[in-house]
Amino acid sequence: MVAQTETESAKHYAPVRARRPTDFDLTLPALGLLALFFVLPVAMLLTRSVTEPVPGLGNYAELMGSSTYLRVFANTFMVSGLVTFVSLLIGFPVAWALAIMPSRLASVVFAILLLSMWTNLLARTYAWMVLLQRTGVINKMLIGVGLVDKPLPLVNNLTGVTIGMTYIMLPFIILPLYGVIRKIDPAILQAAALCGANRWQSLVLVLLPLAMPGMAAGALMVFVMSLGYFVTPALLGGTANMMLAELIAQFVQSLVNWGMGGAAALVLLVVTLALYAVQLRFFGTDRLGGS
Amino acid sequence: MLLNFDRLGWWKLVLIGITLATTAFLLLPILFIAALSFGSSQWLIFPPPGWTLKWYQELLADPRWLQSAWTSFRIAIIVTVLSVLLGLVTSFGLTRGRFPFREALKALFLTPMILPVVVLAVALYAFFLQIGLNGTLTGFVLSHLVLALPFSILSISSALEGFDKSIEDAAVLCGASPLEARIRVTLPAISHGIFSAAIFSFLTSWDEVVVAIFMSSPTLQTLPVKIWATLRQDLTPVVAAASTLLILLTVLLMLIVAVIRKGLKS
Repeated sequence: MVAQTETESAKHYAPVRARRPTDFDLTLPALGLLALFFVLPVAMLLTRSVTEPVPGLGNYAELMGSSTYLRVFANTFMVSGLVTFVSLLIGFPVAWALAIMPSRLASVVFAILLLSMWTNLLARTYAWMVLLQRTGVINKMLIGVGLVDKPLPLVNNLTGVTIGMTYIMLPFIILPLYGVIRKIDPAILQAAALCGANRWQSLVLVLLPLAMPGMAAGALMVFVMSLGYFVTPALLGGTANMMLAELIAQFVQSLVNWGMGGAAALVLLVVTLALYAVQLRFFGTDRLGGS
Repeated sequence: MLLNFDRLGWWKLVLIGITLATTAFLLLPILFIAALSFGSSQWLIFPPPGWTLKWYQELLADPRWLQSAWTSFRIAIIVTVLSVLLGLVTSFGLTRGRFPFREALKALFLTPMILPVVVLAVALYAFFLQIGLNGTLTGFVLSHLVLALPFSILSISSALEGFDKSIEDAAVLCGASPLEARIRVTLPAISHGIFSAAIFSFLTSWDEVVVAIFMSSPTLQTLPVKIWATLRQDLTPVVAAASTLLILLTVLLMLIVAVIRKGLKS
């Protein structure tokens, strides 16, 4: 009886999956690596959040109950939102221009985008630390043209983080948005013009809605990336506007509080995965891999 | 007419203006650092009062800078080799295989790319402290490999998907063994994917700083960690010199990529 069921199920399977036994086996080494050095460590860290120092949800209660930590959460969302908004505001016209400008000119802009993206993150952050310091070029220029008479505090605060992170995130919004605008059929815009739409109407009623999926996907990606950023906020931001990733690092490195570190990591992880789930649900899988 | 460059009217000027301003915004800080690295001002005054090479001398005279660069390079090379090999094997399995949960497996392989690095860094730090891999070359390589592998799998898989498998089958029909066919027919055909996998893996490891901050020990640190540690103390122009060399390396890599892409196309 048992043997019969087995042959039946084998028969049932055989035509559906013409599986060569080696194909799955080929993924095993990578699977082993990820299981051992990715899934396991993350799971262990998250477990510590409910077991240390005592079993229970005490760490989460502390994280959610303290105004200090809540301010870090709020600040993380605020900075990420601001960076996303500014990136989108600058990125849309640039992506639009790139999609329609002569290809020779566009390739120069692309080369600079790539150069900026590929340049070491710390080198780029360092550049902004120097540019924005009290005696830096930006302050000198502002004073020189008479806009301000005292140097502005541009670094170790929200301004510094926003400028530095927007600088890093811009290519990540321009490139996907360029791809989306590039795919829009110019004839649709022509039709809008023929139907009597002026430029503003064409922009607001036709081009923007058509570009919306790309804008939403790019914005979500930049937002999620910003949420977990560590280096740039740590170097360009001040102590008053700490972000979540810095908090996690601080719990682990200076306070050696693994329970709280694990709890904060779980919060970041859950928010990130939830936002990615939204992205997958509404914009398909094609944006997952970046460009 | 918003998508016709020549019929935009004065909007064209606005778009071009914003694009030029953004391009300048992206490019100028990089040029600025390169210029400052030759400036004589300790306090990074711009324009510099004079020109000098002393920051480069200081950089090259300090064995810790060279040592960290060498450490970074060794790690990045090992990671690149392992990531490409592993990516190649995995991609064959993923693109050719017809097994249940294939999509889920693909998604799992890509998660290290989308997860906040700081979570992985802290998790691996805790784990490596327990098993004694913290501050070791192996620890660095393993953690960077986890981060680099998704890029490798993505590049090679997409090249493999674009390759017509019947060509490989033809080679087998002509008497090649399946492995021989893969190595001598398929590999050359997907070499552009392998090449991007190598570049991305190298850059991922070479530039990685968050995991490295946690992984490093006083005796073993990578170049980004050395820059990080220096920057936390002061804005010395030596970092400008180091950054300029890194920028030069980026330009070099971009040129190599452009040349090889051109070569592959023709």
